[in-house]
Amino acid sequence: MKKILLLLIITISFSACEKDDVCTDETTPRLILEFYDVTNPTVKKNLTGLKVTGYNLDGTLLTNPLATFSGVSKIELPLRITEDVTKYSLILNSTSMTVLPNEDILQFNYTRQKVYVSRACGYKTIFTLNSPNGVTQTDAATPDLLWMRFINTQTTNIDTENEVHIKILF
Amino acid sequence: MKYISKFYFSICLVLISLSSNAQEKDTTKKDSIPPKKERYGLRLGVDLFKLTRMLYEDEYRGIELVGDYRLTRRHYLAAEIGNENKTVDDDQVNFTTKGSYLKVGFDYNTYENWLNMENIISIGLRYGVSSFSQTLNTYQIYNPNPYFGVSPVIVSGLKEDGLSAQWIEVVAGVKVKVVNNVFVGFSFSLNHLISQKLPDDFDNLYIPGFNRTYDGNFGVGFNYTVSYFIPLYKSTVKSKEKKEKKK
Repeated sequence: MKKILLLLIITISFSACEKDDVCTDETTPRLILEFYDVTNPTVKKNLTGLKVTGYNLDGTLLTNPLATFSGVSKIELPLRITEDVTKYSLILNSTSMTVLPNEDILQFNYTRQKVYVSRACGYKTIFTLNSPNGVTQTDAATPDLLWMRFINTQTTNIDTENEVHIKILF
Repeated sequence: MKYISKFYFSICLVLISLSSNAQEKDTTKKDSIPPKKERYGLRLGVDLFKLTRMLYEDEYRGIELVGDYRLTRRHYLAAEIGNENKTVDDDQVNFTTKGSYLKVGFDYNTYENWLNMENIISIGLRYGVSSFSQTLNTYQIYNPNPYFGVSPVIVSGLKEDGLSAQWIEVVAGVKVKVVNNVFVGFSFSLNHLISQKLPDDFDNLYIPGFNRTYDGNFGVGFNYTVSYFIPLYKSTVKSKEKKEKKK
């Protein structure tokens, strides 16, 4: 009898410590872009000083850039979870003293879906890129040619960060 | 589940051994002491834990009626019936669960009473079933990269009716006679979910009767009861058992 009570008490105390109030599952994914060499499309090419800044809904740039990527070939862009469109300015060679920076603008058009994850995480959003016109590329306000030569959508289903969604040649 | 079946098996063993004992013919001479008689009957009560919880928890309403019927010297048929209405406000979701439940099973009294005491220290099993609805009041999208601002709280109000759950409980409890036919008691239970009907794109995070659900289908329960015993008849304690007690 005592053993059973003890067992119950131990179980109760342990179940209270269960880690289900900290969200550890994968939730809302970012868009994964991977960059390849345009002269050799199977080889990944590292970025140099790629400054990425999001746009506000009114068309002005956000005050803080998302990040400046250097020495990587893969970048992750968060998508808006309250709108069906997200726009980014991507400036290559933004930190270079010798090479002129080049700005391209990418706009992602998609639909959203809410998916239940768990008690701690609640809901996440997964995205489906529009097809066609999931990604639209425009040049900077002052034209400086497009530095991204080819944009290849690998998958329109953005539900995990474990795969590359868009391949870009430059 | 393995442990539950083990436990059930051992309970069955005890049952069988008891019944076989009872079948043996009593050949001992009668005592001069009048035979010990024990009262059998129905005990009905209410869970005070749920009632007091309503006082300090704003978003909780619940009631549970408990009852047991003494079948044999040690076995009691036991049942609980209740209704709960609970709103849970977690970080990411706020939801309301409403529903009723029924638990049926038995208790086995392990306590050897002296003279005419009627206290109970019991272990038992219950089968629980619950029918309920879940309303998702508000939720937030979990976004680990809030570059475009924190995600807003979205009002949903989506209600899902006709949900259900079934589970098994192992209950350990104590009941003490305080005055004449009035008993107070408490019990702990360890619950294991067998099956449940989940709402679309949500989870049963709270089930009436089962309480909060955890990963891995386990849950716990507690109640504190006051009950009244309605005596129906008396039965003489078998001398075989009396002999055992003297040893």
